[in-house]
Amino acid sequence: MNYIVNTPEGTRDRLFGECRERRLVQSALTHLFRQRGFAEVITPEVEFYDLFHQTNNTIPQEQMLKIIDRSGKIVVLRPDCTTPIARVAATKLKDSVRPQRLYYNQMVYRSGAAHLGDSTEIAQCGVEILGAGGLKPELEAIALAVDSLRACGLERFHVEIGHAGFYQEIISKMDITESAAEQVRACVAGKNYAALNRLLEEYREQPACDILRRISRMYGGVEVLDEAEALSGGSETISYLRELYSLLEKAGYGSFLRFDLGMVSHMDYYTGVIFHGYVEGAANEVVSGGRYDNLVSNFGREAHAIGFAVNVDAVARCLPPVELPVPEAVVHFAPEYLRDALNLIDSHPAGAWQLSPCNRVESSLNLAREKGIGKVIVVDENGQRELEVTDHA
Amino acid sequence: MRERLRIALTKGRLQDNSVALFEAMGIDCTPIKSPGRRLIHSIPNYPMDAVLSKAPDVITYVSHGVCDLGIVGKDTLMEHIENMGRYYEVLDLGFGKCRFALAVKQGTDFYGTYKLRRIASKYPEVTRSFFAQKGMDVDIIKIEGSVELAPLVELADAIVDIVETGSTLKANGLVAIETVALVSARLIVNPASMKLYKQEMVDFISKVEAELRRQI
Repeated sequence: MNYIVNTPEGTRDRLFGECRERRLVQSALTHLFRQRGFAEVITPEVEFYDLFHQTNNTIPQEQMLKIIDRSGKIVVLRPDCTTPIARVAATKLKDSVRPQRLYYNQMVYRSGAAHLGDSTEIAQCGVEILGAGGLKPELEAIALAVDSLRACGLERFHVEIGHAGFYQEIISKMDITESAAEQVRACVAGKNYAALNRLLEEYREQPACDILRRISRMYGGVEVLDEAEALSGGSETISYLRELYSLLEKAGYGSFLRFDLGMVSHMDYYTGVIFHGYVEGAANEVVSGGRYDNLVSNFGREAHAIGFAVNVDAVARCLPPVELPVPEAVVHFAPEYLRDALNLIDSHPAGAWQLSPCNRVESSLNLAREKGIGKVIVVDENGQRELEVTDHA
Repeated sequence: MRERLRIALTKGRLQDNSVALFEAMGIDCTPIKSPGRRLIHSIPNYPMDAVLSKAPDVITYVSHGVCDLGIVGKDTLMEHIENMGRYYEVLDLGFGKCRFALAVKQGTDFYGTYKLRRIASKYPEVTRSFFAQKGMDVDIIKIEGSVELAPLVELADAIVDIVETGSTLKANGLVAIETVALVSARLIVNPASMKLYKQEMVDFISKVEAELRRQI
């Protein structure tokens, strides 16, 4: 490998249209976030490894890109935006009035396995509502997740809602060892129906077993809640989700919402609703969020918290490609007429006209011809005139 | 709405088993059985297209969502952990049954030493995680061809390999001393497809389940 001309695994140069596509999604999202009263924070690109390692984070250590700094401490390229923001909320913002509505528009870095087509650099845009518990922040966050995807121009997508509490309710009724419970959780998370049934065979006498067997199949429309209600014989969490849904439906979000009661991937992290956004054209969720009331206390202060992140590039890939403006004219100018030349360029749409670096008019004509630009504007002591670019010199 | 689902089938024996399962479900597999030069096969009487590929590629296609479903052996799923979490492993199809076993030369006391042991395998990840669970340090050597050779030429103290009948082991003076894992074919699905095309996916998966139940 040539280390001078190649970029590291999982990274690459992004040119022109790809940059615009990322920026358009970022500006649609940040505009919406500001509209809803969120304020931006920028946290360091590098953080101490311990920040993520000691706060029960969901990112495996092998996915963090590590650097040993000058003093021998291990630092990582930011693998997640939420943990640093939780620190900010518990420290710098500890005396500010709650709740804090914060948003970020930053990169995260995760080093994945080779040759899976994954990017190490992930552009994320997201929000956190810190210091407010209960129903209203959850309504706000889910509504904002739907509106975020709409603001980007997407139409065919779902935001799928789960709840950490429902699974906890069920598993707590089971007489099961911790390690067996962990195996059950992994099967539910991976919708591994066969292995789940085999595991549960041993516990079939227990009343909660039936619903545990069904839980990874409980996903889809609001009817999922009816089944869960019936099988669980009434559940606080299900009643809560029903209330959440009916309020969101009333606000016009119903057609975008789905449920998955088997969403149990990061049960140590999430403490309430969990939600994911799925878009036609993306193989994985493009929005990921939920309530995480335990994170902030790692920094010495309790705070309710809910938020979500949008994977900016994954959303951009689901949108039609951006057409870059085609340049229309090259401005050939005598150096003394720079002001006039720039005035001309600035009075046209972005990218339509550009300066020529050439000293001779013939060179500017050649340049325009090679770039496929239709005309050359000459600005000099004789004023301004337009030259047609012909096919041959 | 998805007009046609796309399924990736593992070429070879699992393909024959998959075709047998589909035919029992009333799915016309003529295009899969006589593929010619085509790579994507349209099922005439079910809204589904099938592609045939090597086992690890089945996982890749499903993980990237270019195929909604796939049929692949548990052995391949266990080895390719880099794709874990990128698919749901919904059904055990019950065919393609075999096991991963730890095998040594007849008469070897594998566990009765503190010396470092060397294990040869075509499945280094399966081997690594097996010994990691035991908290044992071992050296793992990846072998591409006949793994049975490695202990015979004393490259390794043991092998971890797929065992069906055990006759190859026996013919080479090897003996399986421990089962590492049971293997069979699995139906995997892409998570986003499962969510976005729920009706179509559930229809197909429940038809497969019904057929599996009927066969028991």
